[in-house]
Parts: sequence; C-alpha cells; structure tokens
Amino acid sequence: MRRRTAGTADPVLFNGHLTGRFDSGPCVRRSAEAPATGTVRRSDPQPPGAEVDPHRPAASSVMESWREERTRSVEDNEMSLPAIAAAYTTILRGLGEDPQRQGLLKTPWRAATAMQFFTKGYQETIIDVLNDAIFDEDHDEMVIVKDIDMFSMCEHHLVPIFGRVHIGYLPNKRVLGLSKLARIVEIYSRRLQVQERLTKQIAVAITEALQPTGVGVVIEATHMCMVMRGVQKMNSKTVTSTMLGVFREDPKTRDEFLRLIRS
Amino acid sequence: MNGHCNDTVEECHCNNGFSDLIIDTKKSAVHRKHETSRKEAEDKSRLPAIEAAYTSILRELGEDTDRQGLLRTPLRAAKAMQFLTKGYHETVDDILNNAIFDEDHDEMVIVKDIDVFSLCEHHLVPFFGKVHIGYIPNKKVVGLSKLARIVEIFSRRLQVQERLTKQIALGISEALQPKGVAVVIEAAHMCMVMRGVQKMNSRTVTSTMLGVYLEDPKTREEFLTLSQHA
Repeated sequence: MRRRTAGTADPVLFNGHLTGRFDSGPCVRRSAEAPATGTVRRSDPQPPGAEVDPHRPAASSVMESWREERTRSVEDNEMSLPAIAAAYTTILRGLGEDPQRQGLLKTPWRAATAMQFFTKGYQETIIDVLNDAIFDEDHDEMVIVKDIDMFSMCEHHLVPIFGRVHIGYLPNKRVLGLSKLARIVEIYSRRLQVQERLTKQIAVAITEALQPTGVGVVIEATHMCMVMRGVQKMNSKTVTSTMLGVFREDPKTRDEFLRLIRS
Repeated sequence: MNGHCNDTVEECHCNNGFSDLIIDTKKSAVHRKHETSRKEAEDKSRLPAIEAAYTSILRELGEDTDRQGLLRTPLRAAKAMQFLTKGYHETVDDILNNAIFDEDHDEMVIVKDIDVFSLCEHHLVPFFGKVHIGYIPNKKVVGLSKLARIVEIFSRRLQVQERLTKQIALGISEALQPKGVAVVIEAAHMCMVMRGVQKMNSRTVTSTMLGVYLEDPKTREEFLTLSQHA
C-alpha cells in the first residue's frame, strides 16, 4: 500500500487500510464512566484538507484518504463464498460435530454469508454513504445523535460486540444528514474491530467530511468475548470516547455533550 | 440432534482425517470418563485445522492476516470456538457428581435467571438469555448449582433453542426422576439482531413442561408466576 509522506504524522494502518493522517497516539481510553478531563492528550493535527497536495482542491482532498480503502465488491463476495463455506465445514468437523446432520447441512453457507454481512463495512466507502448529504446551514450549536445501536466483531476472537454509539458535533456552517452519522457508524462497525479504533475512525470520518468545530463520539458496548468466555463477566461494559476539536479543548462543551447523552 | 437421538443410542462418526468421535449421552459415566479426557486431548490436536480454517476465512473476507491485530486471531478464535462448544465433552452423569440428596421435600424448587449462552447452529452466531428451571422433587433433591451446570452442558453446543430447552428438561428428568420438570428459556438471537431482519428488541421464549407440570395447569401457573415476577 502507498504510504503518504505529507502531513503531520505518519500514515496509520487501520483495518488494513491507509486512512490518511492523524495523530497515531492514543487519545481514547477505557473508563467505567464518562471520560473526565485531566488526562494529557497530544493535540490533533489540522484536518487533512489543510495540508494536502497543493495541486488538488481542498474539498476533494477531504475524501482522498477514503479512496485508499480496500473495498470489497459484491462479486468478490460471491467468489469467496465457497472457500469460506469450506472453511466452516472444516471448523464444524474439528469441533466434533457432524456436518451432515439436518440442522447443519447448510450451516457453512449460512455462516459464510453471515460473516460477510458482519464485515460488509469493507464493501462501502464514505463517499458513497454520505451521498452528498452535506448542507450549508447557518447553525453552530451542538448536534447530537445518540443511542445508535452498533454491532461489530471483535478482531481478536471473531465474536460479536454490540452497544450504543453517541455522536455529537459542532457544525461550522455545514451540517450532515442525520442518518449519515448512523451510516458512518455502520461502515466502521461492520468490520473486524477494536472498540478504541472504531471510536476514533467514526470521529475522524466526520471531521474529514464536514470540518466541524468539534466532534465527540462515545461508545458503550458489551463484548461477548468477555461475557461468553474468558473472564465471563455478564454485566461488564466497555466505554470509549474520542473528542476532537473544541470538544477536546473546552471542558464546558465536552461537559454539555456528556450530560446530554446521559439523559 | 447434536448427534443424539432421543430414544435410542446412536453413534456419530466424523470422517476426513479426524479420529472417530462418539457423541452420546446415553452411555454411563464410568464408560464415559475416559472418553472425556481423551476428547480434551483431542481438542488440542484438532486446533491447527480449525486455526487454518479461520486464517482462510479472514483472507477471503478481504482482511490482512499479517496485521498486528489479526496475527494470533485464528488461534484465539479456534480456542474460543472450542470453549463455546465444550458441552460436547460433558455428560449429565459426570457433573452431577453424586450431588443428589434424599430429602423429604415435595414442594416446588425453582432456580431462575440462570444466564445462558449458546451458539445458533444455523449461523454460528451467539444467542443468549436466561433460563428458569423448576422441578418438584420425588424425595430426591439435587444440588442447586448442578441445575446451572446442566444448563452449561447443553448450552455450550451448536444449538436450536427448542432443543436446548428440551435437553435440559430431559437431563434433569432422567437424573432425578422428579414428579415434574419445567424449563423456560428467554433469549435474544444475534442472528436476528445483528443480521437478517435486524430486530433489536425481539426475544424468543421456549418452554418444556414434563410430568405434573404438563398435566396440572395450576402447578404450571405457579411456576410461571414465581419465575417471572418474584
């Protein structure tokens, strides 16, 4: 994959994709409750649009990093289905089951299709999903979309993660169609993920699409890999958050966001 | 069902290079004890094949299996899958551990809100929920945690919720010969929630009533009231 050399930070590989330039240091953390101020964070670089190749107009550079996504096509899915189904048959045998019994006869195909569905985020690009639903609106107050149901797959155990995403942003004269926030969540969650990365990718995507004054994303999720196996803690939840722009710098803004998503 | 037949002893053999695997709950504990430990050793020997299968799945899905987060994922996923299907190794006789006591008690005993986690055998995706078990002892009571262990045996398999409910009820019935057994399971199926119809809040409820719970509606009603509300 091509490495970007321009920008303030080295390109970072996420989900096997290059996603452009942004701070590769950790700026999300686990906590049992809403994140508080006080942790030292490295400052985020300017939105990529500010530092792109000068021969390209700033607007299209917003989407530039996404063009490097390795997108899977529907044809790819069809072609790989037999191989995935065969792998699942092997798994069933390896677990000691009889793949020929009635309940399991078509399971390899169903499981393969299900797995492709759970990773359909690799098939979509941000540009397609946003669908030009960016509108010029003289609005600069907080916009929050909360309680977005999210389903993802743990990349370490291939077991589901599910929870809720709360997104808030302060528009800078440009607002996004509300369902597009949920669609951005879908693109990044329907992949093999780590919750910290998922949170960050959503925040960065919104930043790059809109250049808002600030973005805040909070995800609260249950990890089946902790609930069904391993430590087996039924009621544990993992909370991660990413605060960019004014949400990071101004504690009052962050506070308002966190309070509004609680109620 | 799970390689079992309800009434007759049936053996199921797996081919393709794996040693024959016999899944059968009708055999006695004595006979099965050495089989259980043999299967645990077999688990380790089967791991590489399952691992290779997962690596192939990851590649076919378009992921990069050499990136840091995925390097050991096939191994972890294979072990996780073996854990989630460990019920195949266990029998009711083994885990009851002689925890059956003679007690002059013939009133209803209910253990409710037992968390249950299983795998849908059609999509290999989890379903989970709560089990409520009630039984009326016939002079023999069982250690309470053993009811939860019986749930574990049958749920850690590739399952269909209806069959799971029935197997739990039959397992208790055969072990104790009580006057009646009732099992209710309420679960959320990720195959419906995460994919397909995508109905977030739907729950599936199944129940099996045996013995006096089947015949006497008042008994059944008492069980349902006590397990749902109190």
